[in-house]
Amino acid sequence: MWILPLLIALAIALWLSLKTAQFLNGENLLNLVPQAMPLVITAVGQMFVVLLGGLDLSVGSMISFTTAVLALGGPAWVLIPAVFVLAALVGFTNGFIITRFNVHPIIATLSMQYILLGITRVLRPVSGGTVPDVVIRAVAGSFLGIPMPVFWGIFTLAVAWKLLYGSRFGLHLFAIGGGVSSGVEDAAHNFGIADRRNVVLAYVICACFAALAGIFLAGRIVSGDPNVGLLFELDAITAVAIGGTQLSGGIGSLHGTVIGALVMALLANGMNLTNVSPFIQTTIKGAILLLVVALQSRKKMGL
Amino acid sequence: MTAALANPVMRRLLRVPPAYYVFAALLMVLWIARPNMLNLNIMGIFVRQIVPLGILVLGQLLVMRVRSIDLSGGGVILLINYTISSGVFPGASMAFFIVLALAIGLAVGFFNGLMVGVRRVSAVIVTLAVGIVLVGVVQYLSSGKPPGDVPGMFADIYNTKLGPAPTPVIFWVVVSAALSLFLSRTVFGRYVTSVGENVQAAHFSGVPVARTVVLAHTLAGLFAGIAALVQTASIAVGSVRVGLDLPILAVAATILGGVVFGRGEGGVWGPFFGVLSFALLFVVMTTFGVDEPGKLIAQGLIILLAAIFYGIRTRSS
Repeated sequence: MWILPLLIALAIALWLSLKTAQFLNGENLLNLVPQAMPLVITAVGQMFVVLLGGLDLSVGSMISFTTAVLALGGPAWVLIPAVFVLAALVGFTNGFIITRFNVHPIIATLSMQYILLGITRVLRPVSGGTVPDVVIRAVAGSFLGIPMPVFWGIFTLAVAWKLLYGSRFGLHLFAIGGGVSSGVEDAAHNFGIADRRNVVLAYVICACFAALAGIFLAGRIVSGDPNVGLLFELDAITAVAIGGTQLSGGIGSLHGTVIGALVMALLANGMNLTNVSPFIQTTIKGAILLLVVALQSRKKMGL
Repeated sequence: MTAALANPVMRRLLRVPPAYYVFAALLMVLWIARPNMLNLNIMGIFVRQIVPLGILVLGQLLVMRVRSIDLSGGGVILLINYTISSGVFPGASMAFFIVLALAIGLAVGFFNGLMVGVRRVSAVIVTLAVGIVLVGVVQYLSSGKPPGDVPGMFADIYNTKLGPAPTPVIFWVVVSAALSLFLSRTVFGRYVTSVGENVQAAHFSGVPVARTVVLAHTLAGLFAGIAALVQTASIAVGSVRVGLDLPILAVAATILGGVVFGRGEGGVWGPFFGVLSFALLFVVMTTFGVDEPGKLIAQGLIILLAAIFYGIRTRSS
């Protein structure tokens, strides 16, 4: 499932290096990693809920919210833990509402998207403020000659790898998702898996990864911005879908998701290098999303 | 809580769509806080503003009853607003614009329907993506700048009154009544109900499930086209931002009106009152000085609470 997107990524890279001289420029290649990183982190988080057959539309707002919180002013050792506590709370609320009140994930996370966006705009109506120095240095600096964003990537992948392939939770995730996608929602439950608890945990993980992406972005733009995460959830879902994860749940992989995010990042980089109008870029991204989901065949009709 | 939910009176009350309660509560608030605003003229103006949403909701309730959703309405409204106001068709007649708008709506709705009903793609993603593609196209064509003016005849019709009520409001009531009759009297209406109740059972009973879904989406596109015409007439100028938050509000009003995925107890009039509740809500929030972020939060909370309300009911029954 992930070989095709990898070939696509390589094809885009090859095409770009032939088409524009700037692409293989060292500066552009160095820029590519930090450019791709927020999407990689968010998409990896999103993958956890997509594997369950769910969807989290609130990650875009979560990212904006995180940058706004970080720009409130205050010591970093308060703000950074606070961001993760708030993210966990948001994820927990999403998961709780979905599992306990039987609300469809799309409705629950859509309303969360609005609530968070509202709170973000109260905290920070327009972009501004400054984020703690530690955050800026953790993104812009380098360690042992290697740029810091690389370490963010390694950290993200290590945590996600452990959660997905090295824990009982990951195994249960595939089991629950497999049941959902084949139309037997309580299959995993019947085998003794605590499905509700695991679903809630998946939403918490998704929100926490979004917060991590938000911290990274805050370090890059050095301020809080209520609109920085706008439509980010769609890019993340597109990346997950390109990477071969089935939106109906149960099938997917971490490396596929990362490749999917890289495809999206290369595409964005290429469109900027070739001076594609930013307005039509939205259309192109939308069309890609449409194409990717249309190619996924599903057994059942539905949301 | 379970005992309270089992109480027969409570169960009866729970069956009434929340829209009616919210509407009554907001009316009370307004009556206590600003009694002088409760006259037919002022209310007529407020309700007239909400008519585009009201018409969009008619399509939304249709697709939500067949367990689907349509988030592409914002893109459709933007595209139609752009074609009318940008002067791509100079000197075209009103009839031409109306036909064009309805054709755009039908085409987008039909495409959504094929994707959801035949290709079985995730409805949220498809309609969201279609909306984004359309918004991007309009922004590209207009380079982000607002286009020109809308032909004057749109505003002329929009501003007329039939007796005490503004024409758009009457039009909304008539279209809603027509849809209500259409759903209760035709075979298609029965198909919609049965697909919503249980897709598999409907399929095995010989209901053309895919065709019903395609038709529901096509009609939703048509309603989006009509909503775009009313919206365009109401603002009288072209805009690159018009109607973007309407699809979400339409989902909210539909759920508030007692129509959730597959279940249609609220009928057409539940969502109708859901829309009226939103009209009143915006009036109340404006009079109490709640600003933009507050409105966003309120919208989100309303969708969430209405959905939770239905979640609890599914469990208790």
